[in-house]
Amino acid sequence: MAETILKFENVTFRYEGDEQPLPPAVENLSLEIKKGEFVAILGHNGSGKSTVAKLSNGLVIPESGDVYVLGMNTKNEDDDLKIKQTVGVVFQNPDNQIVATIVEEDVAFGPENLGVEPAEIRRRVDEALNVVGMYKYRLHEPHKLSGGQKQRVAIAGIIAMQPQCIVFDEPTAMLDPEGRRDVMNAMKRLNRELGITVVFITHYMEEACEAERIIVMDDARLVLDGTPREIFSDVDFIRGLGLDVPQTCALAQMLKNDGIEISGNHLSVDELVNSLAKILD
Amino acid sequence: MLKDITIGQYFPLNSVIHRLDPRIKLLYTFVFIITIVLTNNFVSLALCIAVALAVTFISKVPLKTVVKGLKPILFVIIITSLLQIIYVKTGVPLISFWKIRITSGGLLEAVFLTFRISFLIVMSTMLTYTTSPTSMTNGLDRTFAPLTKLGIDFNIVTMIMTIALRFIPTLIDEVDKIISAQKSRGANFESGNIFKRAKMLIPLFVPLLFNATRRAYELAYAMTCRCYNGGKGKTTMNTLKFKKGDWAALLLTVAFVAGVIFLNIKFGEYNAQFTFNLAV
Repeated sequence: MAETILKFENVTFRYEGDEQPLPPAVENLSLEIKKGEFVAILGHNGSGKSTVAKLSNGLVIPESGDVYVLGMNTKNEDDDLKIKQTVGVVFQNPDNQIVATIVEEDVAFGPENLGVEPAEIRRRVDEALNVVGMYKYRLHEPHKLSGGQKQRVAIAGIIAMQPQCIVFDEPTAMLDPEGRRDVMNAMKRLNRELGITVVFITHYMEEACEAERIIVMDDARLVLDGTPREIFSDVDFIRGLGLDVPQTCALAQMLKNDGIEISGNHLSVDELVNSLAKILD
Repeated sequence: MLKDITIGQYFPLNSVIHRLDPRIKLLYTFVFIITIVLTNNFVSLALCIAVALAVTFISKVPLKTVVKGLKPILFVIIITSLLQIIYVKTGVPLISFWKIRITSGGLLEAVFLTFRISFLIVMSTMLTYTTSPTSMTNGLDRTFAPLTKLGIDFNIVTMIMTIALRFIPTLIDEVDKIISAQKSRGANFESGNIFKRAKMLIPLFVPLLFNATRRAYELAYAMTCRCYNGGKGKTTMNTLKFKKGDWAALLLTVAFVAGVIFLNIKFGEYNAQFTFNLAV
């Protein structure tokens, strides 16, 4: 069994309200993520999923309960840098994550802060830019890049710190379809080729289906945790949470409702076509 | 429209001056400013002017652009010159009417000052023309790095400069968007008197300010994620290294200062006698 990289234990967190206390953004959440996993966290707006990203490397500290990164409690300030180096977070808006006026200098920002030797920073920056396919843009100004390109620069900035786990907080929400695909591919590559644990927060079903495991959140609580196949077996329940289901699952459900015996659930068009072909035979 | 503006006044060209280390450019500009203020006769002033013109020439920045850079301070030059003409009473009286007496000393002083201020500005604009904002912050960062030992944290200043430079284009984009959004709801930014137009800026700046604040929060999170802790123990990827040209520039700077000091002593402060000789 792989080592646990991220562990939430009965975590509750609420943002400060202006007058009366706000309802908790995350309530009594427990979850465990192992090294090397590719996990999607799914939920509609306001379900608390973005707060999970901020909790995961100590950007915010739980009101009650504990968050552990490789066994280090995020409440312990002495481990702060080590925690942030282990778990990186990529946010939704790439514009607000890029610090420097030149792409390569922005990617170097993290390692520079960690006091890495210049020659080693250069090596890491080149490597990180290559992984996300932005090497040839290294001398460009960030504001002249497209959204998807900017987001990949932001990802490179995190990779250059050599984290073991990266949490992506809706990294594709502000991008066009092409940018979305590029960012998706970059994430998969990190997971498969570099062995980085990926936690990927989204509300796009199709994207979530590409993960090995999906965690569904609703109203500050964890409601489902399983493989995509398990999660989408109960179409009505998912819909009840205000979430979409993949079109293939929706179609299969409609057929079932009409009394057609179609077994299992289908995440890809090919799977569904095969099942339907069997029935028609 | 707004997107086309350039940040700072960097004039991207490929010249010896452009390639110099930003630290040496900061140094010689600073030295030049002090030196030209300390010149006390026309001969040493002439040397300063020659040096400034030489730098302009080598940098390949068109002379027209440099002269244009003087426009904003034209008013200052005129006022100070007038004051010199009215209040300096040395030398030979030339014209006198009502209570004003113009002397040759006053005129000469005005000319001297005009040249002094103009070339002081020329040399400082040359710095911004030949140094990109990034290179400039880098240079400032390196130059003032030793101050950290004295407890003055210059790193924060350069970080602020970098972020400002980084976000100017982003915020300009945003202004464009807000203008379009407000126009589509019938806002009119172009007509009306000055008060009316100033009032129209409120629906522009309120959302801009609001968004900038939100951006600042998100940026703070992103920077924390990348282990920013105020620049303590920070290293830099692109270390600046003095090259041959930089040492040459340093040598020339020293030679220039020595030259001005020599000329200052040799010809001394220009005085009434000198002025008189000139006038005759």
